[in-house]
Amino acid sequence: MAETILKIENVCKHFGGVYAVDGVNMNIHEGGIWGLVGPNGSGKSTLFNTILGLHQPNSGDIYFKGQRTNKLSPHQIYDLGLVNAFQVPRLFPSMTVLDNMLVAARGQQGDGFFNSVFFREKWQKQEEELADEALDILELIELRKHISSLSGELSGGQRKLLEIGRGLMAKPKLLLLDEPAAGINPILGKRIFQKLQDLSHSGLTFLIVEHRLEILFEFASWIYVMDKGKTVAEGNPKDIVQEPAFYQAYLGK
Amino acid sequence: MDLSMYLLDLIVFIGIFSIMSLSLNLEYGFTGLPNFGKVVFFLIGAYSYALLSQAGVPFYICLIVGAIIAAVFGFLISLPALRLRIDYLAIVILTAGEIIRLIVKTEDWIGGGDWGTSVAPAIAISGTSPQVNILINIGLVYACLFICFVISRLLTNSPYGRTMRAIREDEVAAEALGKDRAKYKAQILMLGSAMAGLAGGLYVQYLHYVLPGMFMPIVTFTVWIMVLLGGPANCWGALLGACLVQIFDRGANLAKDLLTLPTDASNLQYILFGVLILLILIYRPQGLLKESAIKTRAINRIRKLKEPENNKGDYK
Repeated sequence: MAETILKIENVCKHFGGVYAVDGVNMNIHEGGIWGLVGPNGSGKSTLFNTILGLHQPNSGDIYFKGQRTNKLSPHQIYDLGLVNAFQVPRLFPSMTVLDNMLVAARGQQGDGFFNSVFFREKWQKQEEELADEALDILELIELRKHISSLSGELSGGQRKLLEIGRGLMAKPKLLLLDEPAAGINPILGKRIFQKLQDLSHSGLTFLIVEHRLEILFEFASWIYVMDKGKTVAEGNPKDIVQEPAFYQAYLGK
Repeated sequence: MDLSMYLLDLIVFIGIFSIMSLSLNLEYGFTGLPNFGKVVFFLIGAYSYALLSQAGVPFYICLIVGAIIAAVFGFLISLPALRLRIDYLAIVILTAGEIIRLIVKTEDWIGGGDWGTSVAPAIAISGTSPQVNILINIGLVYACLFICFVISRLLTNSPYGRTMRAIREDEVAAEALGKDRAKYKAQILMLGSAMAGLAGGLYVQYLHYVLPGMFMPIVTFTVWIMVLLGGPANCWGALLGACLVQIFDRGANLAKDLLTLPTDASNLQYILFGVLILLILIYRPQGLLKESAIKTRAINRIRKLKEPENNKGDYK
């Protein structure tokens, strides 16, 4: 069995009287595509935001590679290699596509005040390598010919793709994707999942929320089902469709 | 004052205010920090210079220490910047600025209170003509401006500059992309304040006096017009804005002597400033020069790769 990369123990997140996440347990191992499904409002996105440190959980613990991340700020969690692509893309609209990609790279030398002004030799080489990596990812998400466009000028689907590309640019260990296939044409959506699967063989782990179950179930190795803030079922895609809890989550009792 | 002196004087003012607008451009134009207290840091630099030079400290140390003290205040201002939304932050900085000015105004031990005090010029050569003295000032001011400009350009054309813009566009997303926004905001406010402090020192040593009335909030708004007119997030724009606003300011000053108005003519300038801001915001919200793209070695190389094969539709 591969090593645990993300462990979620009894995590709760309340907003006033709303129990958005109410006792979630997960144990995600390194490698592969992990799916998280459930009806709208079942708490999937809130769980993601809690994992990322954008919300503090009311109770419970989150461990990333054995390290407790509850008290860390979002940028510290990012530096550990736990990266997210937002459901609604949050790009930097008046920056170019390439700059949007480059800003996401982790461990940049030129991102420090003194290095940027006085020691430019230190990071220029690194930035060139990062730019090449960015071009490869942009090739994959079919945005290569738009590198100099402002990201605010892209179409809705292209923004979605760039959001995913930006997540890949960070070379994460675990990448959270919130509905990556929504708003993208089905053929490209499937191709992206195929690519994600290739990447997952090289050690990258994905946790994906997706409503397009037919695509997700084709590629995912394990599925968690959430309903009303709780994880109600888990299993591999073949078995999960047999679970009564899975149907109840979507259809009600 | 003859015409040549008037023009040389204008050149000094343009230089000093270019440093101010460059610094606000780093804060607001690139990083999106609405510093409505620019004049405070100008004041802090000015008074630091005045008090230190009275204590017999050499001028370059006065300028540097003034900039450092202003930077410390910049850091203090960055603390609420993390908790407050942008509009509230603007109010906090504006108010803090007025408080500091009023303290300086009422405390007589700080540079003579409301009466102000005289300041020795940085480089005084006895027996020279006023023209030569003004030329020395131009040399000093433009050397400082050059340093500030080069730092601004290097900083904004680097991965650091990319992060600055990312924080301006969506600071939560920037944080979620691993950028410690608290650190960046503090650093930029410190740098911007240091530059404003430097400008303050240059200003009072040139005028040979300092008094609280020189640091009214209108100074802040003048610098804002420079940045908005020239083009936020463009270093050349900051220089252009400073140049145009200074010329406009002088022009309005001259015009009011020539016009007969039913009201006090010294208000004309401020009325015209207000009209100018409205016109810029309505017709040219991006300023005269548009935002400059980030230029680094990596970006330039990709541009070059792209150009020759552009027609084939392949970009590598």
